[in-house]
Amino acid sequence: MPVIDVNGLQKLYGDFPAVQGLSFQVGPGEVLGLVGPNGAGKTTTIRSIAGIIIPSAGEIRIAGHDLARDPVRAKAALAFIPDEPHLFEYLTVEEHLRFVGRLYGVTDVSDRIPGLLDEMDLTDKRGSLPGELSRGMKQKLAIACGLLHEPKALLLDEPLTGLDPVGIRRMKATIMRRAAAGSAIILSSHLLHLVEEICTRLLIMQRGRVVAFGTTAEIIARRPDLGTQSLEDVFLALIGQDQGAEG
Amino acid sequence: MFGYLAWRSAHNRVSRQLRHLRSPRYVAALLLGLAYLWFVVIAQRPAPAAGELADSRWLELVGALALLGAVAWGWIFGVERRVLAFSPAEVTFLFSGPVSRRGLIQFKLLRSQLLILFNALLWTLILSHERFGVSPWLRVISIWVLLTTLSFHRLGASFVRTSLAEHGRLGLRHRVVSLAVLGAVLIALTWSIADALPRLAGADARTPLGFLSALGEAAAEPLPTALTYPFRVMIRPLTAPSVSAWLNALWPALILLLLHYVWVVRSDTAFEEAAAAVSLQRAQAVSERQAGRPAPRAPGRVTPPLFRLAPEGWPAGAILWKNLVAVTRTQRVRNVALALAVGAVIVTALSFQPEGTLAEIAGWFAVTWAGAMTVIGPQWVRNDLRSDLLKLDMLRSYPLRGWSVVIAEVGASALVLTLIQLSLLVIGYLAFLGNQSMVPALDERTVLLFGAFVFLPGINLLGMIIQNGAALLYPAWVHLGSGRPGGVEALGQNMLMMVVFVALLAVTLLLPVAIGGGAFLLLHRAINGWAALPATVLALGTMAFEAALLVDWLGRLFERTDPATAGIGL
Repeated sequence: MPVIDVNGLQKLYGDFPAVQGLSFQVGPGEVLGLVGPNGAGKTTTIRSIAGIIIPSAGEIRIAGHDLARDPVRAKAALAFIPDEPHLFEYLTVEEHLRFVGRLYGVTDVSDRIPGLLDEMDLTDKRGSLPGELSRGMKQKLAIACGLLHEPKALLLDEPLTGLDPVGIRRMKATIMRRAAAGSAIILSSHLLHLVEEICTRLLIMQRGRVVAFGTTAEIIARRPDLGTQSLEDVFLALIGQDQGAEG
Repeated sequence: MFGYLAWRSAHNRVSRQLRHLRSPRYVAALLLGLAYLWFVVIAQRPAPAAGELADSRWLELVGALALLGAVAWGWIFGVERRVLAFSPAEVTFLFSGPVSRRGLIQFKLLRSQLLILFNALLWTLILSHERFGVSPWLRVISIWVLLTTLSFHRLGASFVRTSLAEHGRLGLRHRVVSLAVLGAVLIALTWSIADALPRLAGADARTPLGFLSALGEAAAEPLPTALTYPFRVMIRPLTAPSVSAWLNALWPALILLLLHYVWVVRSDTAFEEAAAAVSLQRAQAVSERQAGRPAPRAPGRVTPPLFRLAPEGWPAGAILWKNLVAVTRTQRVRNVALALAVGAVIVTALSFQPEGTLAEIAGWFAVTWAGAMTVIGPQWVRNDLRSDLLKLDMLRSYPLRGWSVVIAEVGASALVLTLIQLSLLVIGYLAFLGNQSMVPALDERTVLLFGAFVFLPGINLLGMIIQNGAALLYPAWVHLGSGRPGGVEALGQNMLMMVVFVALLAVTLLLPVAIGGGAFLLLHRAINGWAALPATVLALGTMAFEAALLVDWLGRLFERTDPATAGIGL
């Protein structure tokens, strides 16, 4: 059974369709890369799945729970990590984790915190307020908060923003580890080499519609006319920017 | 360049706000607001009690003392650092551009003019029927001069305080003239208060008019006259009875304004230290992202939370806990708590001494403030949705029903406000502890205090629900964030909002008062004073029922609010 099941998702802003007719599933252990140019509808899609935006039409199920009818259970099974970490000014690193632990009913939060802080390289900062953290550390804290309750579905919007090379490597390992542990992951990113490296399937969007869906190899194979093995070339061709890129 | 930036920013901001009028909800609010303004301004209100109120001498004195109090408050308790801050875009473009610090200050002053002009017009409309001053059109100029001077003073005070706080002795050297003036004013103020206290505490000052008269006599002494002179200068154009008197009063006020301008503009060194530090904190996020390197703030000591959050229990309890932790970690709140505790000890000790009148003055002050906090407190205590709506994305992703988010958010601020009020009331109670002749008597005062403990939480909860409801209904028009639009310059709009709030609170309290009061009257003949018990239960039950209905409605509204279209963070 898919962990994330999106069926006919549509989001309109007035007459403008931000997302139209989007359907896909993500199963346990899968990492779906959501890519597309600016304004393609990636963030709208990921926020709709996180229960932040109310879709105009369509159905979203998380771990079997309908997001519209049973939002509490559906949201309890997922974690959303935005590109810009939203932290509370007056809570320390450890208190953020305790706060999230209570929200998601994590009874053994004290046992989980040391391991997560170690994984995110934040052990020395456990008593620090967000104002004392760098951008990258804040991002790591937001990710730690998302991982605390071991979600079945993990939604990552540009997760590597602000991380240093060591942080990026650690984060990639963390994502792979969570997938191996059975989480279904959706990762939105502009970094094509990242999605190529860690995603099992790709969903390429443009103007709110799906223009390609499948594994990297499948997507490349569908465009033999391009005579390339590069995802970047195929991506640019799919979104109609290949002329500009070549020129 | 600055004029263009300020004008286009203001224009686009207003246009964006007006675009929300496509929503019927906002149209309804606008129509109600216009009707309200028409009622306040155009429709004839009861004529003021001519003579007493319109006496320009009293207006000048009371106005000058109010301004003195506002300015002293800013200096003592700190001017918000927000006063100094620039937006991230302004920091990115202006701080790194070929713009002098003095130019930046001038831009800051120019930018504040939009708010000042709006409030000057608002005050002119509010006061249009009052029988003092020369004419509404000249009054708008007088109010503009007053508000601009106060705005400049607030900015100058921010420079001095921040410079001292961050640079200690070095700051002292930079700000020697400002500090010398401030020191002289503080000494004069202390001396004047000490000199006036016996007169104010005297038997003649027990009635409001007697107190005002004693105040007038005290203020007529040479030192208080000198001390209040600049504030009288600011008020005088407002109370001038003729055009020639207005012209005579205006030029000293303009000179004072000019002096403030020079003071602030010459503070460019302090500005560099203060405003840049505050604003650049905002810009760090931008520069870090571009440079990919950390720029953390120096670590400080973090106050431990009042209680540890248990991992099990009501999930939304985490939000309540988070908001209470935020309050205890705010320096200003800690200062207030300390002042209240020290005040309680002092007034208790004084109330049994021959100088008990001093304690009673403090007691009246505390009780008055406790009452006033019911009305103004919900605008000040904002550790609720008004702060957290800027993180609506995160709130919406939590596995919580809307109603539980709303009650947790509202409960935190209602609790904080109630604690402040009850502390003030306890101080008032203790201040009169040694007074055996007071009416109401001690046992009656004890019952009243007990009543406050019972009713204030419910009243404040309803008050906070109204405030948070406004934020949820009109997120694009309500100021979001921990601070509210501050300063004397925003007093006009805050006052109008307060009147609307009081009206709504009165409506919500109508039913509980009617049911509780009715029950008391019905049962009083049968069971005498014991009738208060079922009446209280009924009133509290009605308040709880109303609160539950409102929270449920706001919870559903919260679940329907789309962060992308709500206009949050404008």
